[in-house]
Amino acid sequence: MSQLVFDPSKVMDIDYTQRTDYLDGLAAIKAAHKVLKEITYTPSLPDKGYTNRTLYVNVGSLEITEKPVTQQMKDVFIGGRGFGLYHLWNAVKPTTRWNDPENEIIISPGPVAGMTQYAGTGKSLVVSLSPQTDIPIDSNVGGFYGPLLKFSGFDGLELQGKSDKDIILFIDGVKGIIRIEEAPKDPVDSHVLAEVLTHMYAENEKDLPNISVVSTGAAAEHSLIGMLNFSFYDRRRKCVRFKQAGRGGIGTVFRDKRIRALVVRGPKVAGDLNHPADPETIAKTGIKFHKEMRENDGTQCMMRRNGTAHIVEIMDAYDLLPVHNFQYGSHPDVHKIDSSYWQQRCTQHTVDGCWYGCSMACAKGADGLVLKTGPYKGDMVTVDGPEYENAAGLGSNCGVFDPDYLLELNFYCDTYGICTITYGTLTAFVMECYQRGILNQERTGGLEMTWGNAEADLEMMHQMARGEGFGKIAGLGVKKMKEYFIKQGWGDPQLINDIGMENKGLEYSQYMSKESLAQQGGYALTNKGPQHDEAWLIFMDMVNKQLPTFEDKAEALYYFPLFRTWFGLNGFCKLPWNDVVPADNSSQPEAHKVPEHVQNYVDLFSATTGIKISKEDLIIQSAKVYNFQRVFNIRMGKGLRLHDAAPYRSLGPVTKEEYESRAERYDQQIITEMDLDPAGKTTEEKMAMHRQWRTERFSKLMDSVYTRRGWTLDGVPTLARLKELGLDAFPEVVEVVKQHL
Amino acid sequence: MKQLVIDFQKCDAGRNCNHECEMECAIKVFKVDDPAQAALQIKAYEEGGGKAILCDQCGDCVVVCPSEALKRNKLGVVMIDKQLCVGCYMCIGFCEKDAFMRNPDWIVPHKCTSCGICVKVCPHGALSIVDVPEPAVRII
Amino acid sequence: MIVVNEEPLAWHPGMTVRDVLRARNYRFPMLVIHVNDALIQKTDYDTTSIPDGAVVKVIHLISGG
Repeated sequence: MSQLVFDPSKVMDIDYTQRTDYLDGLAAIKAAHKVLKEITYTPSLPDKGYTNRTLYVNVGSLEITEKPVTQQMKDVFIGGRGFGLYHLWNAVKPTTRWNDPENEIIISPGPVAGMTQYAGTGKSLVVSLSPQTDIPIDSNVGGFYGPLLKFSGFDGLELQGKSDKDIILFIDGVKGIIRIEEAPKDPVDSHVLAEVLTHMYAENEKDLPNISVVSTGAAAEHSLIGMLNFSFYDRRRKCVRFKQAGRGGIGTVFRDKRIRALVVRGPKVAGDLNHPADPETIAKTGIKFHKEMRENDGTQCMMRRNGTAHIVEIMDAYDLLPVHNFQYGSHPDVHKIDSSYWQQRCTQHTVDGCWYGCSMACAKGADGLVLKTGPYKGDMVTVDGPEYENAAGLGSNCGVFDPDYLLELNFYCDTYGICTITYGTLTAFVMECYQRGILNQERTGGLEMTWGNAEADLEMMHQMARGEGFGKIAGLGVKKMKEYFIKQGWGDPQLINDIGMENKGLEYSQYMSKESLAQQGGYALTNKGPQHDEAWLIFMDMVNKQLPTFEDKAEALYYFPLFRTWFGLNGFCKLPWNDVVPADNSSQPEAHKVPEHVQNYVDLFSATTGIKISKEDLIIQSAKVYNFQRVFNIRMGKGLRLHDAAPYRSLGPVTKEEYESRAERYDQQIITEMDLDPAGKTTEEKMAMHRQWRTERFSKLMDSVYTRRGWTLDGVPTLARLKELGLDAFPEVVEVVKQHL
Repeated sequence: MKQLVIDFQKCDAGRNCNHECEMECAIKVFKVDDPAQAALQIKAYEEGGGKAILCDQCGDCVVVCPSEALKRNKLGVVMIDKQLCVGCYMCIGFCEKDAFMRNPDWIVPHKCTSCGICVKVCPHGALSIVDVPEPAVRII
Repeated sequence: MIVVNEEPLAWHPGMTVRDVLRARNYRFPMLVIHVNDALIQKTDYDTTSIPDGAVVKVIHLISGG
């Protein structure tokens, strides 16, 4: 691995003591806290990955109870996202909406979470009814909260009810205390709040890494796109950092319940707290992976240097980087925000895992950013990232190629509690509406939302945090903006619907899917909405031509969403699966599945729980939860074929400029794919030919995928499929499906 | 910094000794009667000569340790703080010399701390503690 | 003429695997490359020459956040 040498007298690139300190008001904030409810409990450590109980907290009635984890929960739902969906199903009715008191936020880390020997083992899954989609959302997040919750004695936390005052839930997993505190004077935005709370609840400096805070920020109170920050204490930087449960507006639900923060104080972490069945296998598998990172990362993805931002220039090279609201796939200015820049800008000689033992260490941080706008103008802060999604979403998709502004957008998204992916896609939509006259300065209240206008972009974000002006409208998300603009008569409804990149109410994440039919399905035929964490098939389909038939694509859209669901059942991160591969991976059959790593996961699950599984079992475990979630969507009045429809921008060229910018490609497709002749046709005529071909083949893809998944052509899991998965043991599940068969 | 070095002009890779260095290290330092757990390992090559697996205090493990359990002491020797160690074994995986060891019975890994106990017992006088400059810290 | 991922590419004498990657702008680091069904190691991309008429597969592993 290529290595740089630096001056050992410099511990960090910047003097961290110059970073703005927010602890001045700590004593007054603490003094204002009032205990509303306190109970004691017996802390316990997991046995074979499970503590065998979950914690239920009703923030309205102040009820705090423990619930046992049943064998059926473990057998069918495993943990993580599975536990979240199970609890949510039991908590809500088909009529429940996101802001009803019975809606829950469930945080569950999964049986493997908290292992320290393998990379990417600190994840929690957060599940709730989404304000954007009205169906369950699941969001996968790092940081220390999940593992420390488990080491405090709980496999999951259910939050229900609505408080009438701002509260903090504190779990002390050392002393065995659970407390709901009124928190009237606490700061609102995450970077201040989490720093204050980390210091408030730590008993001394050594205790700081044992504290984790879940919080959001001002924008979560005024928008539907609020996210949750999960903190971890960075010992070297001596600051609190975050990973985000971003998608679907769970931060908005959090604030609707008037939860200011969740704080956990866990025991000091050691290598054996998860008490696995077979620690020796875990140690050996972990060390093998760490060696693989050392030997291969430098010539593969360089995750330790660049994190996920390493693919900015890759996506640009393959015409896959979203530019100007997914119109184009590359841009000449991308070099200003690609990984060669971030590698210099992010501090390198430090440890960037978001949980112990992560040798992939993708959580890069840019230190020493002095903010130019907003309430923290002039402050020096550390910004987490940017990750690929942020560079693409806040950057190229909005035409912002100024890295300092990109970092500032990233910072404010984080501290205000806004999902960067959602914000990037909705701002790109706003900017395209502005470009096409659907919006103008009058309609935006003076914001000049031209491509790349980062100052206007930031002002829109500050408005969102203040709950004012056009920022408040933008904070409703793309789906509701579309409806609003159409209702106002501001533009052609078809154009507005075509360019608004959402499905099920959730904004697309940052990849161009126009030239990959399989990825169009990978986005639209998802449970929660268009997020790449179910399947990323663009290279297999578009570049490698490995999926020539509908059946091939359907098989990939069967396997990968199930394979990747499994990470979220267990507390794993997806990145160590395929962002490094063993040196001999290329000579393995099905190299794209990274078979040695799949075996690692099988081994790690078996060694943790003591339950021997195979790689086929892994898919079956996921299929149970995946189909349960699909039925859950149907129960909530969604989850059918019509809800899987995709905006045309994700399928093909909407506008003349898009077509003409790639005319050679599109003309060629008319000849080779449609067997027609483009000669003499106008661009409009050729666009119409494409539209017909592309929408028809997407519809055929739906047929093939539903069939492969064991669903009807309306997207409903069949009784036979439910039986095969053992889900017929839940009469309510069968009842939901029966109404649609 | 203090560094344990071995002179293969003198060491015959255990052909005419009882691996006293390993035994002494295992018993005196780690309190186990098993030379496989010693912080230095002498291996003989079939074709003659041999090699030693031991820590040269390069400090790569200090850079990758997520819990700041690894630090240099005043003598420049990389020491492990068992209280801070989270048992992630990144130090083992990232050690290019395979000098970080793991005893399956212990959760905390271990390695040579240039203590010199082995030096005194080598019948060939092949081991010594030398003082060399600390290498630059690397980005890993 | 050779075929790279099902699509034709002009051939020239002495053409190497690296030349193919350059011609197609295949910049992704995680590739599995076969020339006429023979696996080519990464260390041999610069030195492996490609015969005219060859079928080249450049399999990009899965990427994406």
